Amino acid sequence: MSKRVRWRVLLILVVLIGAIAGFLLTGYRNAKKDWIGEGNPPLKEAAKHAIRLGLDLRGGIHLVLQVQTSDALRAERDEAAERFTAELRKEGLAPTPVPPPGDAAFAVAIPAGSDESKINDSVRRMLGTDWTTSAAGGTWTFRLTDPARRAIADTAVSQALETIRNRIDEFGVSEPIIARQGEDRILVQLPGIDDPKRVKDLIKNTAFLELKLVEAGPSNNRGELEARLTPDLELLEARPQPGQRDSTYYLVRKAAVITGRDMKNARPGRGGQFGDQNHVNFFLTPGGAAKFGEATAANVNRFLAIVLDKKVQSAPRINSRIDDTGVIEGSFSPEEANDLALVLRAGALPAGLTYLEERTVGPSLGADSIRKGIRASVLGALLVFVAVVLYYRNAGWNAVIALILNGILLAAALSLFGATLTLPGIAGFMLTIGMAVDSNVLVFERVREELRAGRAPRTAIENGFSKAWATIVDTHATVLLSAVFLFQFGTGPVRGFAVTLILGLVISMFTAVYVSHTIFDLVYGRRQHIDALSI
Amino acid sequence: MELFRETHFDFLKYRWHAIVASWLLIIAGLIAVFVNKGLKFGIDFAGGTQIALRFAQRPDVDRLRALLEQAGLGETGIQRYEEESRNQVLIRVQQQAKEGDVTSQVLDALRRGLQEPIDPAKIDINAAGRDVLANRLSAADPDGPAARGETPAETYYARIAQTIVDRRGQLGVFSSPADVDATTASPAVKSWIKANAYAGPFVMLSAESVGPQVGKDLRSKALWAIGASIFGMLVYIALRFRSLPFGVGAIVALVHDTLITVGLLAILGREFNLVVVAALLTLVGYSVNDTVVVYDRVRENQRSPKKESLDAVINKSINQTLSRTILTAGATLLVCLALYFLGGDVLNTFALTLIIGIFIGTYSSIYVAASIVSIWNAWSRKRAKVAVVPVPAAPTAPEAKRKSGKR
Repeated sequence: MSKRVRWRVLLILVVLIGAIAGFLLTGYRNAKKDWIGEGNPPLKEAAKHAIRLGLDLRGGIHLVLQVQTSDALRAERDEAAERFTAELRKEGLAPTPVPPPGDAAFAVAIPAGSDESKINDSVRRMLGTDWTTSAAGGTWTFRLTDPARRAIADTAVSQALETIRNRIDEFGVSEPIIARQGEDRILVQLPGIDDPKRVKDLIKNTAFLELKLVEAGPSNNRGELEARLTPDLELLEARPQPGQRDSTYYLVRKAAVITGRDMKNARPGRGGQFGDQNHVNFFLTPGGAAKFGEATAANVNRFLAIVLDKKVQSAPRINSRIDDTGVIEGSFSPEEANDLALVLRAGALPAGLTYLEERTVGPSLGADSIRKGIRASVLGALLVFVAVVLYYRNAGWNAVIALILNGILLAAALSLFGATLTLPGIAGFMLTIGMAVDSNVLVFERVREELRAGRAPRTAIENGFSKAWATIVDTHATVLLSAVFLFQFGTGPVRGFAVTLILGLVISMFTAVYVSHTIFDLVYGRRQHIDALSI
Repeated sequence: MELFRETHFDFLKYRWHAIVASWLLIIAGLIAVFVNKGLKFGIDFAGGTQIALRFAQRPDVDRLRALLEQAGLGETGIQRYEEESRNQVLIRVQQQAKEGDVTSQVLDALRRGLQEPIDPAKIDINAAGRDVLANRLSAADPDGPAARGETPAETYYARIAQTIVDRRGQLGVFSSPADVDATTASPAVKSWIKANAYAGPFVMLSAESVGPQVGKDLRSKALWAIGASIFGMLVYIALRFRSLPFGVGAIVALVHDTLITVGLLAILGREFNLVVVAALLTLVGYSVNDTVVVYDRVRENQRSPKKESLDAVINKSINQTLSRTILTAGATLLVCLALYFLGGDVLNTFALTLIIGIFIGTYSSIYVAASIVSIWNAWSRKRAKVAVVPVPAAPTAPEAKRKSGKR
């Protein structure tokens, strides 16, 4: 063995051992994280956990949500309108609210002859530069500027992202992915979760809690309550009780006594006559407690509606002053009570959410896919091995060794880079083998040609590798290029395919050329004269 | 073993036949697309909901359809899939006008229709996830503190819940709560489950819902990706070969392969989804890969001191690379066949796309990419003659004929 070849062999061995060690160590680290048995996870478990599996293989939920940023705009609009009219009243003017002309604009009617400089002062103080002002026939219209509108929408999406993250963290999911996608979309991936409905409700629950004084109701007669509606009151529907057919309504004060923002903590509990009712206990911040205490003391014997997402959950009577704690009753299941407490703790969403895309894969389907993918892969690889050995005899074994090494290195690369293996990724693994063998074929065919042209075996091998090199680079470059576009295009499973393909191709440059060449050198290196090449 | 030893086929002789054949295939595909009023899109691109269920008993598809119709879900497509014995059903529901959780609506409608009313406090062991099972078990604590020892109830029962869910995965679906007998759970846990749980009619294997906006986005993204990767290949070939006919030949071959593959998939009535687009993009790489190998050889042979006509060089190069072409295509084909037959439903169309693509791609490298270079060359010579530029008296046609005579 010449010195050069010895170094090459050494390098290959180091890479191989490093790859196997890296694979197993990553496996141990991952396996430990969700190992619920005793002691350390066994080797088998480590090998299973070395490569992170995509949702389509391990089961889980993939959701894409859209934040209804117009909700946040409307909230900002209403708040600004309220602030502004209050300020005008303080200045001694008599503004009357007018229905808002759009999501990002409000209007106020101010009697003609009012002091315009006072109005302009109020605008400057209360609305600043975020609003543009226009006045026509006693009606003043204020519109959010485009930058302000974008900023509000952006904040709403960031807040929603944060809230969802809090909720998922409280729920306890290992390795969740929660990320912003584009302008107003949020991607949520939860591996291993097999109860999609519960998680979907948990995320989507706006959890906007308000406690409001009841003016009238409960009543099934909607029309009668509507007749008594004034601008500072609103009509709300009650959450239907099980088995109840007709809707019930309440007339409540628009201004809330306290909201979810005044809440410090919430916990599920049990109560009721037989102790079999699930409810949620909540606890208020000091500021909230002060407001709540004052309001309840002033309204003893009246009813207080507990409103969640614009639906009246219950409306208990205020028996005495309450300071810092309360109960939300309703016919909850244990899970519902638990989740409601969770979302109250994690905070309300600033805007509504809609689901744009949801994909759930159950754990058994994932396991089935893995089984099938592996079965197809093993058979495919064996077929290729047999074909190559039949066709190239001894040189075929050289290719087989290079391919196996390619497989090992690819698995190690996937685990070390923390790449995700998906079902199409398994297909990518296989396709890599098909394409890696192409490099071997290119070289071997060249060697055969050289032999036919009457070159000595040693020269034929050297020429074969050097002449095939440019073509090998070309073939890899073209497929790599398309794989990069694939990566750009794809999400989830398809991206996993692209990653596997890219890694596999890069590795095959090493195995099919460097390793295969070294094996030739090893086998034929010592002999000065080779009579025949088995190719 | 050698399949091809120094062959001398005259491939270019049949280039006009090949062009007719290619056009026929492309037109057939277009007709299929036209007749079907566009491509058949899966829910990735069309939007809608698709749910895969596994039943404990043989499902009555008509009954299921009637139940969903009653629930007001509009037209639904229900079909059995994979092996009969697995009792699996794929339900496809159209995009609903009203926003809502379609998956839950479908599951609720089916559960209500297929089973007797059951005490809502009981849990469905075919629907409950690990967390729900673990919660309920640790609330009831059938093994009691003594059996658990030091372990907190949540951890202890999470482990038991996992074995029950794993068992469900092995069986596919529980036929009755008594199926938990085969797990390692304690007798107390087993009898608690038998008393407090029931086996619902099915297990949900997967559910996918795609909104119309996302479907539209994905469609345009897919088109963009295919277009961009074709453009990327054009740039690569242009830089690599610095020759217009080579570049045009490779790109025409590539577009040709993509069109014919899409057309054949349409004729076969296959659905287009994300995974099929992934296969098409892979094909873009494969097609150019195959073409480049022939081109590389043409370039190399052009540099040799022996003066030959371009057609002769092309024919020679195709013959020299023929062995490699067939062998590589064969190896990749073996892999794809394995995926086609054993890879399951998701990979089936993926593998089929690649199988078609490998055949068409191999054929087009020879008959489209190489032919275009040859035809381009012939035309530009003709024009050069008209422009009265003296052409070196290279014995083009006779030599090619002589070469092909050996066949």
